[in-house]
Amino acid sequence: MARNPLKDTLAVVGVGSTAYGRDLKRSRLSLGLEAATKAITDAGLDRNDIDGLCGSGMDPLAVGGAGFLSLQGALGIDRMTWVKNGWLGSCFVYAAEAVFAGLCDCALVVQVSVRGVDMSRGAARDPIRRRAGELGSGFGGVGPGDDFARRWVHSGEPYAAWMRRYMHDFGATKDVFGRIAVNNRMHASRNPNAAHRIPITMDDYHDSRMIWDPMQLLDMDYPVDCGEAVVITTADRARDLPHKPVLIHAMSLGGFRVGEFYENSPSWTENSSWVSLQGVWARSDLTINDLDLFFPYDGYTINAVALTEAAGFCKPGEASELFESSWDDDAQILRLNGHTLLHTHGGGLSQGRAGGFNFYTEAVRQLRGTEGERQAPDARATLICAGSSFFHDPAAVILRA
Amino acid sequence: MTTVSDEDVFAAFPTVPIDHDNLEHYRGLLSQRLLVNRCSACGMWIYPHRPMCPRCWSWDVAPTEVSGEGSVFMFTLIHQERDPNAPTSEPTVVAAIELAEQEGLRYLSQIVNCPLDAIALDMPVRLVWVERNGRPAPAFEPTGRS
Repeated sequence: MARNPLKDTLAVVGVGSTAYGRDLKRSRLSLGLEAATKAITDAGLDRNDIDGLCGSGMDPLAVGGAGFLSLQGALGIDRMTWVKNGWLGSCFVYAAEAVFAGLCDCALVVQVSVRGVDMSRGAARDPIRRRAGELGSGFGGVGPGDDFARRWVHSGEPYAAWMRRYMHDFGATKDVFGRIAVNNRMHASRNPNAAHRIPITMDDYHDSRMIWDPMQLLDMDYPVDCGEAVVITTADRARDLPHKPVLIHAMSLGGFRVGEFYENSPSWTENSSWVSLQGVWARSDLTINDLDLFFPYDGYTINAVALTEAAGFCKPGEASELFESSWDDDAQILRLNGHTLLHTHGGGLSQGRAGGFNFYTEAVRQLRGTEGERQAPDARATLICAGSSFFHDPAAVILRA
Repeated sequence: MTTVSDEDVFAAFPTVPIDHDNLEHYRGLLSQRLLVNRCSACGMWIYPHRPMCPRCWSWDVAPTEVSGEGSVFMFTLIHQERDPNAPTSEPTVVAAIELAEQEGLRYLSQIVNCPLDAIALDMPVRLVWVERNGRPAPAFEPTGRS
């Protein structure tokens, strides 16, 4: 076991989400403000109780957009003792650390995702989105290269190449990726706030447009405009707040010897995602059989396959057999080992791309038990791997009710 | 061989973040030499380009020409580019080539002189130079051996 002094001492007490849509005609700040105000209200807190803030963005000190400076000013919150920007799943970990360390008591994390020029050719023709892409750092801007390397954007095209390598090395077919796509869409079909709600079949998956062979359209998350926010405080303080506290049980980030980039991982199992999963299990009292819900990052279907294996649901390269034996043919969804549900909201593939932050808000709602017809029965523990790439800042977080 | 000035290197690669650690690599490309940083102390090839050996921590790192022999570690065929104005007709191949010098030493490049449907993982390839945007660019072609 590794040291884990923060175990069950922190809680998520507020969540807020905007609508998910292809073109909401709103600024990043507007989306962030709606999610933020909803999360603070949901937590039953006054805005001036919020004394820590993580805004949206890869640049920790960036100004504008839905960064912490704009958000604090626009929310009219008097003072903060901890501020930064963050992205993907790791921003949640940073905010929890800050509360645990005492740099703040109530941390608000706001994450905005928009349909960017690098995710959609339609977006690249929209003058407002194009201007944002020219002036802001594009999502895919990690490690830009020359004109040729720009066709292998981090993150993106390399995952397509890994799909072929995976199938070659383990004798898998595209079905292993298709199961994730169908599972997520079937859950999304029951989620009123999902952008993609029309059910799909495995045939639809296989027939979808080829983008980066062998990656097809339905292997890719769905670019949308959306905002998500959570409020994190201490478990002690959470007991006096309106909702059932959702406790942060264990967390881990991950880094691997190689550093950057995708093509440099020595093998399928030697990259930062696997490190983050080993790290979180080394800090947890729970085991994989305790998981009622599992949220493996699904920026591309291959991420979810990799994280399912890295989490230990099966051995490396054996996700095909696991998914086949775990497939609920009536519901067209996965029940790993007969019970663990994946992406009850539809994930990035079908609710819409939120950089994985919708995993946290969905997990909290399910662990509170407030989701009515969508409610996973008796959900008590979940593992979230949000924004877990093959090299940069994967985050693995176990939440429990 | 004429010397390529720093200014010429920066002008030839206007969008690349060039710094002290990779300048010689890009200078080499302009004279058709594929240079990869190598540790002079322990012999490790260091890519992405870094100034210190990650194995032995030596700072004695020298850009060194590789043999050009390698194999296809992985590749994708780009059917649809991100640029909305780019044509979508013929797919473009982008490949990570595992260079023969060291396991896991992979260089991002293109594959030429090979039909798209004949490209296979682990296929042996060798370095050739093509012209792209008016300058030499490294590419790889099948050796014909299996």
